[in-house]
Amino acid sequence: MSARHYRVAGKRLKRIDGLGKVTGKHVYASDFALPGMLFGKILRSSEAHARIVRLDVSRALALPGVRTILTAKDIPQIRFGTAIKDRPIFADDIVRFRGEAIAAVAATSLEIAEAAVRAIEVEYESLPAVFDMEEALKPGAPLVHAGWSDYQALPVLDRDGNVSGRSSMGGGDVEAGFARSYRVYEHRFTTQHVHPGYTEPRAAVASWDGNGDVSVWCNTQLPFDMKNLLAEVLDLPASRVRVVVPGIGGGFGGKLRVGVEHFAAWLARKSRRPVKVMTTSEEELIDAYPRQPTTILLKTGVSEDGLLIAREARVLLDCGAYANSGPATAAIALQMVAGPYRTPHFAYESVAVYTNKGATGSFRAPAGPMGNFAVESQIDLIADDLGIDPLEIRLRNVYREGDEGPAGDTLTSVSIEESLRRAADAIGWKDRKPGPGRGKGIACSWWLTTGGSSGVYVKINPDGTVTVVSGAVELGSGAMTGAAQILAEELGVDLADINATDVDTHLSPYDYGAQGSRTAFSVGNACIAAARDLRRQIGELVAPLWSVEPDSVRLEDKGVVSGNNRLSLAEVAGLSQRTGGGLISHGTAIQAMPVFDPTRVRNHPLPAWTSQSFHTHAVDLSVDPVTGEVTILRYVVAQDVGFAINPTYIEGQIEGGVAQGIGQALSEEIVYDGGRVLNANLTDYKMPTMMDMPRVECILIEKPSVNGPYGAKGVGEPPCIQPPAAIANAIASATGVRVTSLPITAEKIALGRLDEAAD
Amino acid sequence: MGFAFHRPESLDAAIGIACEHGETARFLAGGTDLIVQINRRRIAPGHLISLAGLGLESIDETDREVVLGAMATHDAVVTHPGFGKQLVALAEASAVIGGRQVRNIATVGGNIVNASPAADLVPVLMALDATVELRGRDGTCSMPLDRFLVERGRTERRPDEILTAVRFDKPPVRSATAFLKAGRRKAMEISVVCVAAHLVPGRKARIAIGAAAARTLRVPQAEALVEANGRAAFAEAGRLAARQVTPIDDVRASARYRRLLVATLVERALAACADRVEAGAA
Amino acid sequence: MTRRALDLTINGEPYELAVEPHWTLLHVLRRELGMTGTKENCLEAECGVCTVLLDGKAVNACILLVEQARGRSIVTIEGLGDPEHLHPLQQAFIEHGAVQCGYCIPGMILSAKSFLDERPGRVPSEAEVREALSGTLCRCTGYQKIVDAVIAAARQMNAWPERPGNAP
Repeated sequence: MSARHYRVAGKRLKRIDGLGKVTGKHVYASDFALPGMLFGKILRSSEAHARIVRLDVSRALALPGVRTILTAKDIPQIRFGTAIKDRPIFADDIVRFRGEAIAAVAATSLEIAEAAVRAIEVEYESLPAVFDMEEALKPGAPLVHAGWSDYQALPVLDRDGNVSGRSSMGGGDVEAGFARSYRVYEHRFTTQHVHPGYTEPRAAVASWDGNGDVSVWCNTQLPFDMKNLLAEVLDLPASRVRVVVPGIGGGFGGKLRVGVEHFAAWLARKSRRPVKVMTTSEEELIDAYPRQPTTILLKTGVSEDGLLIAREARVLLDCGAYANSGPATAAIALQMVAGPYRTPHFAYESVAVYTNKGATGSFRAPAGPMGNFAVESQIDLIADDLGIDPLEIRLRNVYREGDEGPAGDTLTSVSIEESLRRAADAIGWKDRKPGPGRGKGIACSWWLTTGGSSGVYVKINPDGTVTVVSGAVELGSGAMTGAAQILAEELGVDLADINATDVDTHLSPYDYGAQGSRTAFSVGNACIAAARDLRRQIGELVAPLWSVEPDSVRLEDKGVVSGNNRLSLAEVAGLSQRTGGGLISHGTAIQAMPVFDPTRVRNHPLPAWTSQSFHTHAVDLSVDPVTGEVTILRYVVAQDVGFAINPTYIEGQIEGGVAQGIGQALSEEIVYDGGRVLNANLTDYKMPTMMDMPRVECILIEKPSVNGPYGAKGVGEPPCIQPPAAIANAIASATGVRVTSLPITAEKIALGRLDEAAD
Repeated sequence: MGFAFHRPESLDAAIGIACEHGETARFLAGGTDLIVQINRRRIAPGHLISLAGLGLESIDETDREVVLGAMATHDAVVTHPGFGKQLVALAEASAVIGGRQVRNIATVGGNIVNASPAADLVPVLMALDATVELRGRDGTCSMPLDRFLVERGRTERRPDEILTAVRFDKPPVRSATAFLKAGRRKAMEISVVCVAAHLVPGRKARIAIGAAAARTLRVPQAEALVEANGRAAFAEAGRLAARQVTPIDDVRASARYRRLLVATLVERALAACADRVEAGAA
Repeated sequence: MTRRALDLTINGEPYELAVEPHWTLLHVLRRELGMTGTKENCLEAECGVCTVLLDGKAVNACILLVEQARGRSIVTIEGLGDPEHLHPLQQAFIEHGAVQCGYCIPGMILSAKSFLDERPGRVPSEAEVREALSGTLCRCTGYQKIVDAVIAAARQMNAWPERPGNAP
């Protein structure tokens, strides 16, 4: 079925939650309040690695207005974590990074809570700390977790001391491959901590009811995960925890895991009052889930005509003090260092490393920009050395339909060549150096559409409107508008007829969550399944009335039709309410992992990717010959989206993802000096402003996937993957300076040029 | 966070309150820096004395001179019709201070009294040989801006003194100013280095540099070189200036890069002035 | 700390408040008055989500003491338009796909209104819009559709200057 036959899907329709957002009436978690609510604040460690030898809250507790103070002693000793249960709610006797929570206060005002936090007395005894990954891996290095071997962890993980996870992939014979190569190149790349930068701080309001059940209103991306986590840390059955997401001001992966919800829930439990906790910018930059820094070593052997023969890669990924999603991110880095390229002989290894810095997490396309920066920078270096055009060397090596992926899985719906050609055409690749200080760069990649299951309840109301209840949070991407468009298409109604509810884990069906470019894809599939069931119910309801076969009944134009018989959908919904309890269905969807070759993979939770997408970015920029200041003139993205459910919001995802990628490429970095963050404020954590962003020209390629709704592929994460590499390549083309560490500040370019001139 | 807020109805009343409370009182202009400093607990004044509504908001011009009231906002500087030609650097500098929301509140006087070495308007005023006017318990006095600034966060102002205005002579028709700034982004930046230049061909050159020392500073040797040799000396003046500044390494940039920026921005600001003079003459 | 009486006008309505001297306008709007359309984030005038109009000009409510607004007129997003009578900027933001998570949008729309109201009858260039709105960060959109929406709204406001929602 091609796009032009659809009435609703594929159209540039207005999002379903727009009115509340432009009028200020949309309530976000940070806006949420309850009568009599207290305000919570967290005391955070001023040491990077230390034993707490004295913790005295008595002075703080005596302040008027302070209702509760909690420390590790006041609650059960429970460790939690995504991959490894390594993190306590409050540091027990050891703090492992500067900024770690030690105590929490609930008071009648935020000012009083802050004053109480300052009045808590802590004495530390310093312990040897380790901040650098390579140092942390040396024998005899201080252990971030002395008791690491006692922690519960996912069985897939290979752990050891400061190594929170080690993964590998291999195929062919890499040594023989290098031996056969015309040239072998070795390079080292480093990438930095970057913060997701959601504009709404993390916030939670918790309240306990008369039954001893707790409700938490918060801005999590994963309400069901949050419910389970809270049940675990509160030592309650999950059924007694309710998580509601009223609204969320961006997430980008930074709101996947618990932020302040557990503090709010514990403070509310002890104070017997509702409690609100919300982060400050400073807290965001010292204790959130930023993208992990990496060091990537790439060794690549090629033939004389630039064909990749063999590659060895080693990725070190800095988890900080708690592993969170670091081991899985390090594993995904293996697919990223493979790139969308055929490589007969390969051996990739990644190591997730503990250090005494803040914990990290799964910022949009975890491992994506890091691996891509390394691979796509190196392929340009190889092309330059061999005298091959960077576009041409990519075209010679990219995956083709039916190729094997690194895990031995069969790749389908492969569109990387088309994306390369279309992006290159659009940027005017033939004229790569249009003038002095100008340069163009290109970078391509691939990415997965994450699996996990989705359920929706769909109800047809007697006024002809449709209510969809989903456990998936609308992060802002428009994914739920996309899913609603699919539902409207299937039910023969308009998008304006669809209502979507907020997520409430007591009421909403399960969803794996707003992560991994999966929401529109998976919820859309669940909507198709729900609509199918509603058509069956409606067919069975009206077939006897009209003496027709149920299969002959169609839904179109807000009506139910068979032959010359027609009733409005509203009439049928009313009929069902009078006779059968109403039209309601439960649709579900799951995407299975493809078949792969287990001998190629070790300790990898996501070895083979489903419904991959392929994409290319191309940039034209200028660089100030002395100061190194970069000005992006044009930016093109050619992305395979499978089927563009709503082109406007897909463009929005691309434009916004590119902005984040440009931030990572040029300006953003959480700067650590040892264990201390030097720029824990938005004055010096530099996200792109409107003046920093070029227009982004979007080319939507629609090569349908087998699994997605109407052929759609995941869209949300990929756009932030390539900007660092594409920009690095363009800068090298413009200036001759190759910067191999992110961010590529004007300073690095300018001083790099001076140093080259001096050599 | 406990301070008393005072809204005096005259300058003398404001000075009286300041005298009464001594070091615990701070004058409040726009507050865009002061309130942030209080919130970050860098300072904890017991009294804030508002300077709003005391007649310090105007920008006045006579045939001879320009007087910027201390409470004139940066937005007022940007939109002031008289700052289009020879004085365009004033608008260039005020236009890149924070976002519009900040420029609608933040003031000329605040930018000066803060004594941040990275203040953007201060180099321009210094390049114009501006004088600050102070009014305190003992009456009014004035002194060159260059003397007023001592070091980061410190000026010659006594706690009871209000900076009421900054004034400078109108430059001749055949003259120009220019302001250049380097930062990591193209907006919302605290300067990594900023440079203002003022050129009266054949007569006077002024170069003032921000964020490259403990205070905004002039580079007299470089100025003298330009006064003697004109355009031919711009590049050398930049190199000379780079040797005279004493920048630091911090999270925004290294000292080495700051020196490079000083050399380049000084040369470019001088060239911009020379180009503007020529364009004005054409 | 003792509270003092303070009058101000919010969205055309007079308010008589009792305020503590250190309260910011943002605190008063969100905590004291429950007007949460004005958003809270960095609290240091770096992100712009708290932007409101003070006597018609965009300011950061997070670092403005409410005492500084004494006797003056404030407009927040709640005062701009409601779902039945949207301001042209609100309409354009929806139509151009300029809204994603929406958290920056109230501040962005008020920044845009302040800017457009300064130059009635003119349609700004893209560069002018970018300069004027660069004090408000958006992490979702990459800004492009916001810029398009502001320019489209300026056209609309020029075509229908007498519409009630267009009054400054």
